[in-house]
Amino acid sequence: MDLLLKGGILYDPENGWEGPAEVLIRGSRIEAVSLTLGPVDVPALDLQGKIILPGMVDMHVHLREPGYEGKETIATGCAAAVAGGITAVACMPNTDPPVDNKEIICYIKERSRQADLARVYPIGAITRNIDGKEIAPMWEMAQEGARGFSDDGNPVTDSGVMLRAMQYALNLGLPVISHCEDLSLAAGGVVHAGAHGYRLGLPVITSASEAVMVAREILLQKEVKGKLHLAHLSAKESVELLRWAKSTGTNVTAEVTPHHLLLTEEAVGDFNTNVKMNPPLRTSTDKEALQKALAEGVIGVIATDHAPHSLLDKEEDFLSAPFGVIGLETALPLLWTKLVGEGLLSPGEFVDRFSSAPARLLGIPGGSLEPGSPADLVVIDPHTEHIVSSERFYSLGRNTPFEGWRLKGYPVMTMVDGDIKMWQGKVKGFSKDFPAIKRILQAKE
Amino acid sequence: MFPKNLFNLNDLSPSAIEEIMSRAAYYKKRKNEVFSLLKGKNIVLSFWEPSTRTRVSFEMAVQKLGGRVINYSPDTSSEKKGENLKDTLNTLVALGADAVVFRHRSPGFLNLISRMVDIPFISGGEGCYQHPTQALLDLFTLRDRGVKLSEIKVIMVGDILHSRVARSHFYALSVFGAGLTLVAPPVLLPVELVPDSVSWSYVLDDVLPDGDVIYLLRVQQERQGKGLLPSLAEYSALYGINEKRISLLKKGALLMHPGPVNIGIEISRGAVEFLQRNYPQRILFQEQALNGVFVRMAVLDLLLGGK
Repeated sequence: MDLLLKGGILYDPENGWEGPAEVLIRGSRIEAVSLTLGPVDVPALDLQGKIILPGMVDMHVHLREPGYEGKETIATGCAAAVAGGITAVACMPNTDPPVDNKEIICYIKERSRQADLARVYPIGAITRNIDGKEIAPMWEMAQEGARGFSDDGNPVTDSGVMLRAMQYALNLGLPVISHCEDLSLAAGGVVHAGAHGYRLGLPVITSASEAVMVAREILLQKEVKGKLHLAHLSAKESVELLRWAKSTGTNVTAEVTPHHLLLTEEAVGDFNTNVKMNPPLRTSTDKEALQKALAEGVIGVIATDHAPHSLLDKEEDFLSAPFGVIGLETALPLLWTKLVGEGLLSPGEFVDRFSSAPARLLGIPGGSLEPGSPADLVVIDPHTEHIVSSERFYSLGRNTPFEGWRLKGYPVMTMVDGDIKMWQGKVKGFSKDFPAIKRILQAKE
Repeated sequence: MFPKNLFNLNDLSPSAIEEIMSRAAYYKKRKNEVFSLLKGKNIVLSFWEPSTRTRVSFEMAVQKLGGRVINYSPDTSSEKKGENLKDTLNTLVALGADAVVFRHRSPGFLNLISRMVDIPFISGGEGCYQHPTQALLDLFTLRDRGVKLSEIKVIMVGDILHSRVARSHFYALSVFGAGLTLVAPPVLLPVELVPDSVSWSYVLDDVLPDGDVIYLLRVQQERQGKGLLPSLAEYSALYGINEKRISLLKKGALLMHPGPVNIGIEISRGAVEFLQRNYPQRILFQEQALNGVFVRMAVLDLLLGGK
């Protein structure tokens, strides 16, 4: 699509841009970014009062397909992504069958082509069957488009297996993503080992169950020197280990989720299963340590760990209900309101953590609107407030811990590859009244 | 004043607890009478974990109030999923159930099912979460003995980590100003669990002489299975009441236990026999069980009566 975006404010730190800008899109690419481009021969969209950002890149998403289509499909997950201003997702391999071979990678790529919404990058399994025993065929998966490897949901318990997987991935230049959890310490736990969890009489997950594995991965990485990425950190002890690793020159990156950045164990309330996730929410000290590490770039990436479940799955007692919360449709306005809005991150830092850094890490397009790059972007409205209402989600999941929150910074337009995928909350192919471009341009004039 | 459901003792205000105490005293005074407050009402007792005294106590309480008891013990294999349970509960309501007394191993289970059908639920003990009627009957038993709760210190000894009774007592005892000290081996006493108003110790002999009431908790082997204790003999040597420790007790100190008592673990046979011989009035175990009926009558009365 040929289109001129004018009147908006652009934050694109990688391209060194923070301020008013006109963005010229030709076909699927950004052609030019400038304060004023002068007369151009393409239709213009007036974005007065709006903010333009490179599309968000969420490197930790569970799309559930194949195998759990009752929880989410690639199409509904991608609709949720573009509704939330996210133009690319990396999807985790704990499907059924798991993503431990090239055929499943191809299947996911094909299904995402059909959905034609967000870009989808599969993460392959570290071990066959995600059982932590034998390394999966990483090279084959990489050939078909896997952009990293993880047994997410399960830790690789055997240190020898993890070491060999990291060594093997070295050859492929792709990150190994570790779900850090010592199962013998987590022992059936469902909440953090803090006052709230103990009062509820629930089995607990200590911070050490995460931190000891963080320490192990760092020590392995010191020998392997590959690309190590630590998923969804939740404990201040993990952050301390990460600081030590970085200060001693270890190549390690890490991510944090919106819920760990904004919530503490008390959010579980009286057994709210929509606040049950692994790792669990911890204390305000942990939360503050995570926020600080993110601001300083010690934790370089924001990722949602979007983990949809059906209403029935979550309609169980707290012990039996599955772990996981959704995040694709709330992450951007949440963090824009609570982190950028309250001065904990600058807009540029926010774009770096939730777009540029994960794109670099996975080696994928996006993360910047530099001329020549694909036109993957989001326009947000920093002024209008909306109330989080899971009923309106495109995701099949309703399991958000943020129901009822009042947020600003909701996306009003999401573009992927030069094509408008979402316009004012309506998703192409999903909303019957998704407007034609002519209507979009008229509406703004 | 009274909530619809009773899962968490903290949902009862001090004055609501006070009213339960005086209503229980009323029923105790008229212990040979039968009442008609629950006449025509069907109270379902659904215990998904083994229970003798709590279930029987509730059953007697319902009957003495003129209500009808319906025992519903699930076939656990077919009740695993919440959805099946919802159907069953709806059926029970359609058949005329007016309230359910529920015991379950999983904390939060009552919260879940109370959202499925619109009738009152009363906890008969919920995993490691809470056991509100036990705490109420303990309060009643002490007050019935003329104990001034604001002047005493309770030493609670045993498996605090897995104890729903302890969790209900954090609030119950504090309402009336009783002091509470928790004693257990470190693996059974995470300090994060201990509220600010409560003290704790790993060494029984240090605190035993301060206790006006020694409240023994059962070592819950069924909730452990994780090798938390090397052996029960070692537990008993460190935390059991034996004849030697009897000599450490404050003069007139009372012993309580929610039952069932493991003789030889929480308290030695020798200690029980010594007390029974010399100070039978200082062991309240049976009295607690008996008072359970009156307290549960009061709870049923005040939560369900007139509805």
